[in-house]
Amino acid sequence: MSKDHQVRGVWDKLVNVFLWTFALLVLIPLLFMFTASTMPATEIMKMPYPWISKTFEWQNYWFGLCGADGSFLFIRNIFNSLLVATTVSITTVLLSALTGYGLAKFNFKGRNVVFLLMMATMMIPFEVIMIPLYMVTMNLGLQNTYLGLILPFLTTAFGVFMMRQSLLTFPDEILDAARIDGGGEIWIFSRIVLPNCGPAITTLAILTFRSQWDSLLWPLLVVQTEEMKTIPQYITKYMAETHTDEGIMMAIAVIASIPMFILFFTMSKYFISSNLYSSVKG
Amino acid sequence: MKPVASGERSILSPDERKQKKWSMERKKARWGWIFVTPALLFFAVFSFYPIFNAFYMSLTKKNLLSLKPPELIWFKNYAYLFKSPDFWNSMKATGLFTLGTFFLLVVFSLTLGALIITRKRCKRLLQMVFYSPALLSSVVAALIWLLIFDPRGLANQFLNFLAQTPGTDHNWLASANMLRLSTIIVYFWKYIGYFTIIFVAGMGSIPKSIHEAAEIDGASRWQDFWLIVLPLIKPTTLLVSVMALIQCLKTFSTQYLFTTSGAPTKPINVITLNIYNTAIRDHNIGRASAMSVILFLIMIVLSWMQFKVSKEDTVTYM
Repeated sequence: MSKDHQVRGVWDKLVNVFLWTFALLVLIPLLFMFTASTMPATEIMKMPYPWISKTFEWQNYWFGLCGADGSFLFIRNIFNSLLVATTVSITTVLLSALTGYGLAKFNFKGRNVVFLLMMATMMIPFEVIMIPLYMVTMNLGLQNTYLGLILPFLTTAFGVFMMRQSLLTFPDEILDAARIDGGGEIWIFSRIVLPNCGPAITTLAILTFRSQWDSLLWPLLVVQTEEMKTIPQYITKYMAETHTDEGIMMAIAVIASIPMFILFFTMSKYFISSNLYSSVKG
Repeated sequence: MKPVASGERSILSPDERKQKKWSMERKKARWGWIFVTPALLFFAVFSFYPIFNAFYMSLTKKNLLSLKPPELIWFKNYAYLFKSPDFWNSMKATGLFTLGTFFLLVVFSLTLGALIITRKRCKRLLQMVFYSPALLSSVVAALIWLLIFDPRGLANQFLNFLAQTPGTDHNWLASANMLRLSTIIVYFWKYIGYFTIIFVAGMGSIPKSIHEAAEIDGASRWQDFWLIVLPLIKPTTLLVSVMALIQCLKTFSTQYLFTTSGAPTKPINVITLNIYNTAIRDHNIGRASAMSVILFLIMIVLSWMQFKVSKEDTVTYM
């Protein structure tokens, strides 16, 4: 028995070493980004890499925001990204909740067909339909507009599914009581259903915001002018055009990641909890 | 409220009550339709129409910039693609990338999940650390790794330290296979935490009593993992593998940024990148659509195969 315990003790230590080494390896590129963002380029490209630099180049951030030509285009592009990601998150949550509520709590003919049709769209990857979508957007005259960036992402099948699953267990008694009290259906939805599915809404909003913040392909197709570009596009263009200072590059990378870090540290439980998992699994 | 409701009930005869209930059901059905219609219209315009349109466009010849209507050429786009070395190169690039990334992701996220779940402390912290790269957008991730893979960058320093080969340049962004490996590393790094979290959640939902029963029966931790955990998290494994597979097949940003910043295109010209370039640079909508359709079919077939494989001998615990 004691030998068994000894083996387990050694095994436990080995597992800890493995996990923390792996964690360190995962963190190294992030640490690199943060440390390099305050270094002059000459230090960054030194071999070996000086993890702690003597000189702090806070100006990297200033130059990053100014842009190579001092036009402050980056700030406009940050605004674009924030606007698009926020709007899409809001519409996705509202429309998914509305639809999920309709599917979970109302019996109507054809409900299952509607549900299956919507779920079928989950199998259609965006990359496959982006060209027809692009042509729809062009025909509507929406290229290079915010509406063009937002419209194809108003809601997702995943969002509908997730809201439906979380509303299935919503007690019918509460809804019926509200109806008997004379509450209209819209009022019930906005005042009783919505406020009571906070966790599902938050998770969905975060997931949507994250995927929009990351989106590159669609903006590449729809946006032509510099002012309308989003952050991923700005970075891509910056990389291709200017062989600039690596420090400024990393400062831009940090700035571009700040909103996600804020979300992560204030709401980490929605990232880590089994919320996402259970909603996917149903 | 209650007295009114019960009073109402006592006034109505059973027949009237039935009718009232029926009309309420009808009203509810109407509201059900009202609630789902906006999304249904949205999906019709932005999902169903485009997918059928993609199939149709793949049978036509159409220039992105010309106003001429598409000209129906049936399967000529497909015939062209199947003979085009460029297309097969893209298939190979996507295949190699997917194969490498998919196995690394599934094996490592399963292992990490299984190890994290046995820890008593720092479970959450470890998950947060593994997840943190997923916070960065793909473009930022590619940007960081471009500097790491620089000839003077951390990747060379690290590998030279491990292999004791000071001063060697491993051509991370220049030689074909190293470039492929580089993109795989970036992708693996970015998504490993996400799938690990899903595994941790899946393993966490196995009732403790099952582990305890196994321990009383004398099962080692090793046996516990192979005979209990692995069979019971089969649905999670299926979910993760389908998600990882589709995610890998759709990869775009990393390769796009690597090629625009000077890496050779050919080894990492994955199918999405090829679709984008064919449509936007060459203005050839028909051919790009044909590639999209092929990608779609590959995804459907592979996901279906995974469901099929995992359907056999399903285990349940209740």
